[in-house]
Amino acid sequence: LQSPFSSMFPSKPFPKTLIRHQHQTSSFIASPTLKHSRKIKMLRRNIRLRKEYLYRKNLEGDERVQYEKKMKIREALQEGKPIPTELRNEEARLRQEIDLEDQNTAVPRSHIDDEYANATENDPKILLTTSRNPSAPLIRFTKELKFAFPNSQRINRGSQVISEIIETARSHDFTDVILVHEHRGVPDGLIISHLPFGPTAYFGLLNVVTRHDISTKKAIGKMPEQYPHLIFNNFTTQMGQRVANVLKHVFPAPKVDARRIVTFSNESDYISFRNHVYDKGEGGPKSIELKEVGPRFELRLYQVKLGTVEQNEAETEWVIRPYMNTAKKRKFIGE
Amino acid sequence: MSIAKASGFEALEKLMSTEPPVFLAPSSISEVARTASRYLFEKLKPFNPKSPFDQLLVDGFDAEQIWQQIDLQCQPLLSSLRQDVKRFAQNPKEIRKLGNLALKVSHEDDDVDEMDMDDDELEATESEGDEEEEGDEEEEEEDDVEEDEEEKSGDHEGIEDKFFKIKELEEFLEEGEAEEYGLDYKNKKGVAKRKKQNLRDDDDDEEDEDEEEDDDEFGAFAGGDDEEADKLGKARYDDFFGGKKKETKMKLKDLSEDDEAELENQGDVKLSTHEKDRIKLQSKIEQMEKANLDPKHWTMQGEITAAKRPKNSALEVDLDFEHNTRPAPVITEEVTASLEDLIKSRIIEARFDDVQRAPSMPTKAKREAKEMDDSKSKKGLAEVYEDEYVRQANPAFAPTTFSDELKKEASILFKRLCLKLDSLSHFHFTPKPVIEEMSIQTNVPAIAMEEVAPVAVSDAAMLAPEEIFSGKGDIKDESELTQEERKRRRAKKKRKFKAESAKDPVKKARDDTTENPKTGIFLCSYMTFRLLRVFEIRK
Repeated sequence: LQSPFSSMFPSKPFPKTLIRHQHQTSSFIASPTLKHSRKIKMLRRNIRLRKEYLYRKNLEGDERVQYEKKMKIREALQEGKPIPTELRNEEARLRQEIDLEDQNTAVPRSHIDDEYANATENDPKILLTTSRNPSAPLIRFTKELKFAFPNSQRINRGSQVISEIIETARSHDFTDVILVHEHRGVPDGLIISHLPFGPTAYFGLLNVVTRHDISTKKAIGKMPEQYPHLIFNNFTTQMGQRVANVLKHVFPAPKVDARRIVTFSNESDYISFRNHVYDKGEGGPKSIELKEVGPRFELRLYQVKLGTVEQNEAETEWVIRPYMNTAKKRKFIGE
Repeated sequence: MSIAKASGFEALEKLMSTEPPVFLAPSSISEVARTASRYLFEKLKPFNPKSPFDQLLVDGFDAEQIWQQIDLQCQPLLSSLRQDVKRFAQNPKEIRKLGNLALKVSHEDDDVDEMDMDDDELEATESEGDEEEEGDEEEEEEDDVEEDEEEKSGDHEGIEDKFFKIKELEEFLEEGEAEEYGLDYKNKKGVAKRKKQNLRDDDDDEEDEDEEEDDDEFGAFAGGDDEEADKLGKARYDDFFGGKKKETKMKLKDLSEDDEAELENQGDVKLSTHEKDRIKLQSKIEQMEKANLDPKHWTMQGEITAAKRPKNSALEVDLDFEHNTRPAPVITEEVTASLEDLIKSRIIEARFDDVQRAPSMPTKAKREAKEMDDSKSKKGLAEVYEDEYVRQANPAFAPTTFSDELKKEASILFKRLCLKLDSLSHFHFTPKPVIEEMSIQTNVPAIAMEEVAPVAVSDAAMLAPEEIFSGKGDIKDESELTQEERKRRRAKKKRKFKAESAKDPVKKARDDTTENPKTGIFLCSYMTFRLLRVFEIRK
């Protein structure tokens, strides 16, 4: 069965548009009933996986409570104080569990851990696309992003529906889908959606400077597509850690001696994205020569949803509230 | 009653004759006004049977309260009046009837005053109604009433009288209209000014409120107002700001009841500080009121499009808003430089926030590191070759090597572990390996398991059914046999015994002792027992 996604990596030239499955002439899918049943199976599988995910998320509350109780007992035992009275009944059972724990099981697992549980095992595979009817500058910007995120592939949007894109990406084992939006040629929105039901982060883009803007193709030269080192600066709050996690898992694990650096620096809830290449300078071991390469923009997080882009009813983990009177004073990502 | 009436009428007359400015002076004419109002109230009482007051309570009440009483009485009258007027408009003939009635009444009553009063009352009620409407509501009401009355003009012989002429009434009303409407569409100021004047006058003098109810007083009042309203209504910019002296003249006329001097020319006579202050205040008030009436400045008008405001006016205005969000960061050189410094420091420290790969499980086992034993081998070379040959030829008889033994031990341990795991998981049941040993099998289960899992128990160790009984055909108990069956069995048994015994004697003849060891043994043992018994008895 040949579908365009399987032809993406690495040899065959990528077809310009995502061809629907129905148009594929393949002898394997002979009867419509077989294809239909497979679709149903996929659908049921997705439903089941989502139910499992939701169930495990539901259990987190109880787990958290148990964890807290165990913490209390552990502290009481360490300090030699009497165990708090509310835990007396369950004390024996909990103590047994504490004895059996190891460092892995001691920490309560959350759905966040589940979302990125498999992320560390394999390299991420990214699908880049735009909103409908993109302008030429937006397409250029998307191409630049393709170079900025390693292991990514860009496809034309055409007239596809978001749910279709997500479905095909899921079935082809993509880990992330990134959508880029624009306003009259200037890119102004970025949506990073982690795929197997993962979280979706919605960013607004500001102060975008694309490589095309800076100079011509020849002058600016080529960009290395190495797996880059990452720098996250000033992501101190819990929400900040969450965003850092989302951005981190878009990139694969680099080699130790990689010469490319991608920086996400947060200042009063505006995240600056920078892409540099460095070399050891002449002035000794401590001097570094940085050369900026790739697009640069500011990201402004405005929403995090616990679901993929196409799931409208997904729970919102966090949403920006700019109209509050204290909005100026509050910083959600850093400091 | 008649005295009271007379006094009331006199009071009315007196009021009518007073100059308008006198009304503004407090307390000079209030008693008169009160009596007049009370008189009028009495007159109107018969027309309003439902009114709560028998007479107007005037002593010790202030203007507001008196006004309320009058208002309370007159409100129902108004509606009835309107209805009457409409009715008359439709059927003019009825008016004559009413007029006749009125005349009759007047003739019956010898009191001229009464008749006058009746007419006056009618007049009063009608024009009072008009006045009320003017005073309280918009001019549309007045229009309606006036129209109705104009229509009736030709047919009003019954009502008309030397005192009351419809035409005069109409003219009067038209004048009033002209005052109010004549300038209305051009200059709203005039109307407003006049109204304000009225209000101002009211504020100045409280008694004027109850006086407004009286028709004649109103007539006089209106006259005064007419003059002033005309002047104010037709006032132009020049009058105020043209530097002409009429402005001060008009204003001072309003204000200067308290003042003694007649001020014609501003320059000639000195003004007291109080007067100057008052002039200034008045001018301020005028300006503010004017500003209130003007259409607002475009900045105060709420949502404004570019078409509605003057050209380039937004540039002149200094706008300042309080923003609730932090502004987007402007990327300057310093910002970029600071970022790059940060990056450089991180590179030098080699402190990155990369994704950490989780260590994966090894797919292949580690290669066995074979340990070499340094000590000299105890076996000679010949013996080594011998062992090899033996292993090759007969693997069964070869002595086991160390590694073989280890392997055996390992495999045994592993099998034991596997068995335990399988029994825990119930996944793939593998019973214990069958080790062929010679042992007596009894028909009893090997283990009596207390656990719930019956899977671990195997009945492979028990005897198989064929081992217990290898019989053929139908198996019957002795009690179930029929007679023929029994005979058959007995015959079979006999045949068997005979066959065996046929063999035995032959054997017995050959050898007594060894032929039949069992019987020999049995005999010997039997003999020994008997002998023992004999010996025992003997003892």
